[in-house]
Amino acid sequence: MRKLSASTALGVGCIAFALILAFIWIPLDTETWLVERKRGRYIAGDSLAPTLAAGFILIAGVMLLFERQTLDLHPTRYNLAFIGAISIFGIVGILLMRWTGPIAASLFGADEYRLLRDTAPWKYIGFVIGGGTMVFCIVSFVEQRVTWRALWIALVAVVVIIALYDLPFDDVLLPPNGDV
Amino acid sequence: MTDLGTLDYIWLGILAVFQGPEAFSLLGVSVSITVMMVAFGLVLGIVVGATPGLGGVIAMAISLPILISIFGFNSDALLPVMGFLIGVMKGSTVGGAVPAILFNTPGTPDAYMTTLDGYPMAQAGKARKALKVSHFSSVTGDTFSDIVLIVCAPFLAILVESYLDLPEKTALLILSLSFIAAVVSGSAAKGLLSCGLGLLAVYIGTGEDFYPRLSFGSDALSDGIPITAAVIGVLVIGAIFGELENLWSQTRRTGEIEIAQDEGDQRLHWSDIRRIFPYIGRSAIIGTTIGALPGVGSTLAATIGYATGKRIHTKKKRPEDPEFGQGAPEGIAATEAANSSVSGANLIPVLSLGIPGNTAAVFLILAAESIGGFNPGPAVFKFSSDLNPELVIAFGLFTTMILANLLNWTVGGLFMRSLGALVRIPKQYLLPVVLLLTLASLYVQETSMSAIWFAFGFGILGYFMMRFGISPLPFVIGFVLGGRIEDTARQAFSATGGDPWFLLKSPIAATFILCAIAVIFLSLRKPKADNT
Repeated sequence: MRKLSASTALGVGCIAFALILAFIWIPLDTETWLVERKRGRYIAGDSLAPTLAAGFILIAGVMLLFERQTLDLHPTRYNLAFIGAISIFGIVGILLMRWTGPIAASLFGADEYRLLRDTAPWKYIGFVIGGGTMVFCIVSFVEQRVTWRALWIALVAVVVIIALYDLPFDDVLLPPNGDV
Repeated sequence: MTDLGTLDYIWLGILAVFQGPEAFSLLGVSVSITVMMVAFGLVLGIVVGATPGLGGVIAMAISLPILISIFGFNSDALLPVMGFLIGVMKGSTVGGAVPAILFNTPGTPDAYMTTLDGYPMAQAGKARKALKVSHFSSVTGDTFSDIVLIVCAPFLAILVESYLDLPEKTALLILSLSFIAAVVSGSAAKGLLSCGLGLLAVYIGTGEDFYPRLSFGSDALSDGIPITAAVIGVLVIGAIFGELENLWSQTRRTGEIEIAQDEGDQRLHWSDIRRIFPYIGRSAIIGTTIGALPGVGSTLAATIGYATGKRIHTKKKRPEDPEFGQGAPEGIAATEAANSSVSGANLIPVLSLGIPGNTAAVFLILAAESIGGFNPGPAVFKFSSDLNPELVIAFGLFTTMILANLLNWTVGGLFMRSLGALVRIPKQYLLPVVLLLTLASLYVQETSMSAIWFAFGFGILGYFMMRFGISPLPFVIGFVLGGRIEDTARQAFSATGGDPWFLLKSPIAATFILCAIAVIFLSLRKPKADNT
């Protein structure tokens, strides 16, 4: 059997996605149709613009089936392994950024985190631990070894970013303090 | 109040730059904040351009929230912030040549062709001379391009405002998207896909109905996807992931980077300038013409400029002159003039039509939208006798461009030649830090953890787009223009009494739509090289 090229697979995926978008997602998740009649006048409904987007994706999918490609580019297993690892580091870093401050406050603080979020050291806990973990893990992963240097770079980086944003501006809040 | 003419507006624009709020006083001369910010932007642009792995886009993404925090959301912030971004844009183009010449590593993708002659010159002990040729050519091309912008943008805007009504403007926006989709990457289909995804993303959670469309009823999606999160995610974070993967896959090089010692005369003589000037002139025209088309990148301009220069050099060169690719100063001149002359011309569609043609223009629009008081587009160039503040800002922006060029001519070259050491910064440390800095900058602007999640998610999307060979630029431009297309189309539809054929009724609108279809289908005929 002939091997399916990445462009063809992408094209089929685009056509399927565009059809789902146009016939399922848009009709079920939008209040008005393509065109509405209000006070005797026809006006464009909220479905019209997303349907145009679905049209672009559909045409792209059809074109991908017929377009001649010099290179059949697609992600390899190697790419997937890389982005999988980076995604894990990113997600862990962002989750730590969001939750370590509130958890620390609930364990050791006198008040709930919402009241401490503009008070040092509470306001830095999430960013230092979450941001530091993200930088440290990515550096270690890319270097394929764990070093003290990576740890120092991560810590220096978060301190410099704190100095850049938090010290000069009274009204600037580092993550996650603006919306906890 | 006296009636205002064109010259009055130009003068007011110049005064807005030089007589704005004072930053400091130097020998009794007041230096305005805008002047200072243009200089800062230029310096930062040269630094990031000279640092492989970074670039103007990353610098703009990180700087914009900081600048808005400093200057606030009022019209006085427009010129300092946009002047800074213009400085970054110009500086990064110049700076990209430094590692290309010294280390055979282009600092920016459009500096790749500079390596072909710049590095052989450096190896032959002519590094400083190569840097001088590069700087002279780059700034000459950029200046030429800015002059074309300043002359053409107002006329184009006036034409658009005079002849195009709502249906024609809608059709023009659709044509722009199709054109960008068709030309920006190696495949029209992939460009169109990227554009469609950008449009879809911007329509999530927006609309005129009470229920935020396509939001699945979730709170996170009901306010829509923040434009900065989408743009920074796809463009910047996606690119960082790509660079990190390259590092991960490389066997880490442990050897020292060797630099050849300079030998002999390093000065740029008048005879050298006369020799390279025809190449600069041709490439400046090529770059400006290409740059005026939305979505066509500076790498294509550099490639065509280099190829044209090479053809002429082969015929005209003296026997003792080096060939292109073997250390010919004409090769550097042809490349740098072409890629630098794209930047000014790229702003023609932004300022005259409100259509961003490149990533730098996207950030200028983001700045204008975030701050308010300036909506790039044809309405800006209304030469009304009553004061039109947007027109003053537009001439102020032109002034900042000229100022950035003057600074580039005078101190930019000296500064650029001192930055060779930046290439030694290990990217495996730099890029994760830049990633965190980008996320922190985004949070500072949006004050919402969901913006960080969105940006990270769009970064992953940007990475996959890159691996499929899909350019992220049509996505970003689709996202930026999607709201305007919908608003204009809604108004046009209502204004024509609900005529479903409103895009085909007027000859101009019908022509634009036919061109949009033609440009996509013509581009199907043969695959192109990547030209972003």
